[in-house]
Amino acid sequence: MILSAIELSPELRGQRGPTMGTLVRRYLRPHITGLTMLGAFLLATTLLRLVAPLIIRSFIDLARGGADGGTLTRTAVLYLLAVVAAQVIAVADAVVASGIAWRATNRLRNDLFLHCLRLDLPFHHSNSPGVMVERIDGDVETLQNLFSHFVVRLAGNVLLLLGVLTVMLAVDWRLGIYTILFTVVVLLVLRAVRNISVSPWGRQRETSAEMVGYLEEALTSTEDIRANGAEIHAIRSFQGRSREMRSATVRALLGVGLIAGLTTAMFQPGIAGALGVATILLEHHQLTLGTVFLVFNYALLLTQPLEELGRQLQDLQSAGAGATRVAELLATRSTLPEAPAADRLGEGGPLALVFDRVTFAYGDGEPALRHITFELPAGESLGVIGRTGSGKTTLARLALRLYDPSVGAVVVGGRDVRTIPTAELRARVALVPQEVQLLHATVRNNITLFDHSITDERVRQALEDLNIGRVGNRGEGGLNEVLAAGGVDLSGGEAQLLALARAFLLNPGLVVLDEASSRVDPATEQALEGAMDRLLAGRTAVVIAHRLSTLQRVDRILVLEEGRVVEVGRRAELAADPGSHLARLLRGDLSEALL
Amino acid sequence: MNLFAAVGRVVRAMPLLTVGAWVGILLGGYIWPLVPGLVLQRYFDSLPGPGRLGTPWAWLAMYAGVGLGFLAIRVVAVPLEPVLGLDTAQLLRTNILAAVLRRPGAAALTHPPGETIGRMRADSEHFGMLPAWLVDPFAQAASLTFALAILARTNWLVTIEVVVPMVVALVAVNGARRWTISFRRSAMETTSAVSGFIAESYGAITAVKGAGAEGNLAEHFRELNDARRLAGVRDTLWTEGLTALSGGSVLLGTGAMLLLVGPQIRSGRFTVGDLALFTSYLALLSTVGSYFASLMMVTRQARVSLDRLGELVPREPRYGLVQPAALFLRGDRPRPTEIHRAPQDRLERLDLRKLTCLHPSGRGVESVSFSILRGDLVVVTGRVGSGKTTLLRGVLGLLQAGSGAVAWNGVDVPDLTAFMVPPRCSYVPQVPHLFGDTLRDNILLGVRATEEAVERAVKTAVLAAEVGHLDQHLETLVGRRGVRLSGGQVQRTAVARALIRDPELLVLDDVSSALDVETEAILWQRLMDEAERTCIAVSSRRPTLARASTVVVLKAGSVDFVGTLADALEHSEVMRSVWTDAPAAG
Repeated sequence: MILSAIELSPELRGQRGPTMGTLVRRYLRPHITGLTMLGAFLLATTLLRLVAPLIIRSFIDLARGGADGGTLTRTAVLYLLAVVAAQVIAVADAVVASGIAWRATNRLRNDLFLHCLRLDLPFHHSNSPGVMVERIDGDVETLQNLFSHFVVRLAGNVLLLLGVLTVMLAVDWRLGIYTILFTVVVLLVLRAVRNISVSPWGRQRETSAEMVGYLEEALTSTEDIRANGAEIHAIRSFQGRSREMRSATVRALLGVGLIAGLTTAMFQPGIAGALGVATILLEHHQLTLGTVFLVFNYALLLTQPLEELGRQLQDLQSAGAGATRVAELLATRSTLPEAPAADRLGEGGPLALVFDRVTFAYGDGEPALRHITFELPAGESLGVIGRTGSGKTTLARLALRLYDPSVGAVVVGGRDVRTIPTAELRARVALVPQEVQLLHATVRNNITLFDHSITDERVRQALEDLNIGRVGNRGEGGLNEVLAAGGVDLSGGEAQLLALARAFLLNPGLVVLDEASSRVDPATEQALEGAMDRLLAGRTAVVIAHRLSTLQRVDRILVLEEGRVVEVGRRAELAADPGSHLARLLRGDLSEALL
Repeated sequence: MNLFAAVGRVVRAMPLLTVGAWVGILLGGYIWPLVPGLVLQRYFDSLPGPGRLGTPWAWLAMYAGVGLGFLAIRVVAVPLEPVLGLDTAQLLRTNILAAVLRRPGAAALTHPPGETIGRMRADSEHFGMLPAWLVDPFAQAASLTFALAILARTNWLVTIEVVVPMVVALVAVNGARRWTISFRRSAMETTSAVSGFIAESYGAITAVKGAGAEGNLAEHFRELNDARRLAGVRDTLWTEGLTALSGGSVLLGTGAMLLLVGPQIRSGRFTVGDLALFTSYLALLSTVGSYFASLMMVTRQARVSLDRLGELVPREPRYGLVQPAALFLRGDRPRPTEIHRAPQDRLERLDLRKLTCLHPSGRGVESVSFSILRGDLVVVTGRVGSGKTTLLRGVLGLLQAGSGAVAWNGVDVPDLTAFMVPPRCSYVPQVPHLFGDTLRDNILLGVRATEEAVERAVKTAVLAAEVGHLDQHLETLVGRRGVRLSGGQVQRTAVARALIRDPELLVLDDVSSALDVETEAILWQRLMDEAERTCIAVSSRRPTLARASTVVVLKAGSVDFVGTLADALEHSEVMRSVWTDAPAAG
């Protein structure tokens, strides 16, 4: 029965995150139609850009050659049409591209959001919500441009480059060769400086996430900061993080400036060189003046794709830093491998819970639980007592598979929790956590956590059953009343009533109440007892107890001390044994330190 | 707030950086690009043909040299612009954080934390772009005047014809500002809805996981993202349309120019050099036109963002957001602060006189009066939702008191929020928040204290044994919000944090909630053993109630009874029900 070390499934083992290429492919594949449209726009724009200078050349040569007014007018109108068409296409292109970018990045955001929600608690403990905002929204934002334009623009720039080189070769082979050499030199220089600002951008993203993370901590701790007179300290700590972010950004920007400066610095000598070649050819009567003008326009045109390629390389750098972080995040696996779909846990009905020689440690620390073994038959309830730090909360987390045991097994409904798909386990096992966490959302959504399949009627019924109907009638909005920032107008006890309702609605087969009553004062708890009985009736329950009255409701008792079971058994039997912890506790011999 | 008055203050706060950025923009964006066109005109006019002027090679050499000058500008001056933007954003963020922290602590945020972060992140950045852009109108006017003067000198008729469509386009762009603002605003709003929801969801991760609600939340997130995409695409369509309008008008001018100059080229009155100059300058004018459109856009976005940021800190002085603040951009971290203690800070007695403190929702406590003398322990008790925490927050100025007064040594305190802080008061909230720093930093929170004082506070808070077990002792990193510690350890760390400030009045909100009875009993033992410790605490536990010099029983937001425990048990129904079910031993 003991499954000491379940092997990682082969597809999870050694899996690495997607590279930027696979990211782009995966998220752009659904947008083939849009991308094709962008491609068509591109082809049209490229042609228009190549044709316009040719029109001007004939215009100059025609005018200097003494052509009649009608021909000149027709040529000028042709030019006009070309530039207007180019503008219209530019707008259409931007709109289609931004649509694609939003859809693709939103899909990535959605995937990241869900992926990270599913990661294990150690991950969330080292990544604050503020950091998550940066990682899910901020990092993906750097990919926006990559998704909207990168592929198409890259192709477009290459196309334009080839077009210019072809026409130049056709005009005069010497000019063509010069242009090709120039292009090669620029591309080589760009390649050489490309890596200047890769790592600075990574550092910039990291420091920026740190700063936002601290801001989040400070904004959620305003009461603590104020009441301890620590405003200056908080501001300075924030500024410390800002300063790191600033220096990382400046470093990254210097790289960008250098690359941009270098490319433009190369262009004008390059254009001058092309004109030099053209001048010699003109002096030898191999070219018309109109063609010299064409050479100038084309040389100028050439700088656009080259410059854009340079800019795209920079975008690619910041996108690369973002993509690396996104890929890292996508590659982060929960240390709790997902079980393959299997038989259902059984519809409804209570679930038995067994801890089989469970030992567990957080990270590399001292074990928080040692050799815990107990059996809780379906439909019975277990009260867990023990001092602060004795491992009660850890036990609750293991029952819910928020962590996996280091050794031993947790068995729910006859199956090792590691073999039960998470969705199924969550649907059948409910937790009322120690710290109540409320969202800035309606009362209803705080109770159902955005499960729209639950009707308002069911929510109300659940509140009535818990005898806390007034929670659903707060303010004018009733269930649709939006809870204020940080739940400020909700008392700690009321917040916990909401958390109880959350669990109640799931209709679970196993309920884990972790110090659920700690902030509900005794009088209110008394009123809740009827409803608590209803919640526990027909269900298996683990209650981390704080009060003697809670102990009276449970069938079995487990006493923890420094992560070990010191006593476990039926309440009635333990109570009858005068030497037991429970009996001493009930008699008042023992301090309530155990609760 | 007037937008430009606000920007003006930013400029005065960082004059050197601003001027540097301006010079960079002026040179790199406007002045330097004017040179190549002139050189080109000379080059073409020096080519072999009728009326040839000089030799082309000197002009070509000059053309090449202009490019090298540009390198210097790009590397030195251009990066200053984003740095100015960054520092401006940081100035706003610092001022907002400072303003938020000046407000009553329990009602410091006007918007949910996620939304607040979203605005501080994105809106500050948007506003930050504006100071650099201030130079643009002048630079645009200067470069336009210069370019037009040169063009007009070459051929004034053609110049007029080119300029007319440009002016029309600019007027149209300006006329469309109403839509620009509204599209931008909805794009920003949907963006902060997304980032806000991320922060909220991950802030409630245990609840989300416990309920298996990951999928539901993701579904809601998808809806928020869709709304954001629609707003974003609409914004892009609008922005790009306006840009194309202003850029296109110049290209139209170019086409029209060709229609006009054909005969003149034939007659030699309009040279190919002139054509080169006009094409080059028209492209430049097109860029300047799009800069103008961007300027409009940046201005409107900045106005929207400034309003949204202002909403985060209502009742601040008008230009508080942009007042100069020490940004500590360089140098060492500032030193820890000293708590200054004046003789009149010594607490002899504290009186609550008909103190009323209500939430905006109308719930809270009304007309609470009681007194506390030096050395007293006042325990506030009552049912859930009866207003215990609200009362403490009202006394400490963490919520704005509605009416009534709190008197310190008989003198009414005019501003509780500013007054009820160390060394007079310190407070342990019901759910204390820790920072992702070391345990020591969390206790000190920037206060200067001797090693001995820290150890004493840790010992009194019943934390010493556990600190001894931590691998790095006081230097252990506690993880974000102190997750590496148990609930009880967080609470006792907060007690140590309050004690290190050696307050005249210690206020504790329900420390029992995460402590076992024995630990709590030791804590009270040590707290009250210290000479003349004065304390207000919320508790429903017998050992604490038994120690109280005065018990304040609250019922549905008003005082049910004030007096000794014995009297309260005799006269108050609420007190009896609390007592009956409270843990008995200890």
